[in-house]
Amino acid sequence: MKISIRATMSALWAATILAAFALSATAVKADEPVTVQISVKDHKFEPAQIHAPANKPILLRVKNLDATPMEFESVSLRVEKVVTASSEGVINLRPLQPGQYNFFDDFHQQTAGVLIVQ
Amino acid sequence: MDPIDGRPRVSNAGSVVRPAASAAVLSLTLACAGMSSISAARADDAYREIETKYIFGFTEGSGIGLEGEKEFSPDTIISSGKRDGRYTAVETKLKFEYTPNQFVQFEFGPIATYHDIQNVTGLTNISAGTFGGFFGEFRYLLLERGASSPLSVTLSIEPEWHNIDETTGQGVVNYGLETNINADLEVIKNRAYLGFNLLYEPERTLTQEGSSDEEATLGASAAFAYRVLPNVTIGAETWYLRHYAGLGFNTFTGDTVYVGPNLYIQIAPKIFATFAWNAQVAGHEVGVGNLDLADFSRNRFKVKASFEF
Repeated sequence: MKISIRATMSALWAATILAAFALSATAVKADEPVTVQISVKDHKFEPAQIHAPANKPILLRVKNLDATPMEFESVSLRVEKVVTASSEGVINLRPLQPGQYNFFDDFHQQTAGVLIVQ
Repeated sequence: MDPIDGRPRVSNAGSVVRPAASAAVLSLTLACAGMSSISAARADDAYREIETKYIFGFTEGSGIGLEGEKEFSPDTIISSGKRDGRYTAVETKLKFEYTPNQFVQFEFGPIATYHDIQNVTGLTNISAGTFGGFFGEFRYLLLERGASSPLSVTLSIEPEWHNIDETTGQGVVNYGLETNINADLEVIKNRAYLGFNLLYEPERTLTQEGSSDEEATLGASAAFAYRVLPNVTIGAETWYLRHYAGLGFNTFTGDTVYVGPNLYIQIAPKIFATFAWNAQVAGHEVGVGNLDLADFSRNRFKVKASFEF
């Protein structure tokens, strides 16, 4: 049986799209998250060091107490979120391996902190 | 003699050595500069974590962006030089990139092309720029870097549709599926990285004359990148590429080795640019001789800017 090139390419494209949706779906975990809170005041994280358990999803609540917006950003956590002035941002983190995960305010680069997962 | 049209082939010796040697020397210099600095490298708070996707030049790192991140990135590749005549092909992908979660990234956008081809054996003269097609890319993080592992690996699948042939600049209908494994290794925390790519790209092309061609490119790369400043990364890379007629490695037509330097600059917190140059330093074109200048260009350059919003 001869399979046409067009059919093969169409199948590959379809497989790509299906794989994208399937893999996106598997990235969502059903476990109950652990909530961790942090505030930003006078462009400083309070506390600057936060803790969370390993291998559990984390709900990170970032409360911006300043009168200007901030952007919570972390390359190792692979998240960024703008939190407007005097408001709270909620960030869902995947289950993490033990280690240190640095974060900072992308609008005020000197504002930095660390999440310690153990 | 050219096996196709019987004309004498232009010697490639003189014109190849200079750019190829320059690229190799520049790559080696940048690599040595980076390596010599490594011994002096100290942990420095100014060197924060970095997205590795664009720090290696043509070699792509494993980065998939940050959840919620949106980027617009004009990504231009300029190919220049064939065995004779004058050859320049420019392809710009106007990329929109989006990272919906911490594992997946999507990219898509239109392609613009420009070709300036004069007196190249086997190619029709042309000087024109036009819309060249569409592409999409799906990236999935297979293995993330962590405290216990400095290695990160991403799978990338990129369907493409072209209405202009990338090499000849002529009107065609071309379908491709570029599949990559992008891996990188953090050698020194936040300072030095090694990157590796594996590539398989099958393509099918229908010409205006009604003929159809299938081809495939197989490749591997290794790259080094070192941050000389918190916002500046330099490095070097090498690529080995093999080209086949047919989708399943049916007939080998040639292979090539590219070498060249790369530079990455974080211009502002949400703006960066990357530059890379690869020169063909070795290779073989079946039935012709040294270097594969039918399937690949003598030089290729990459210029990419990115704007987050």
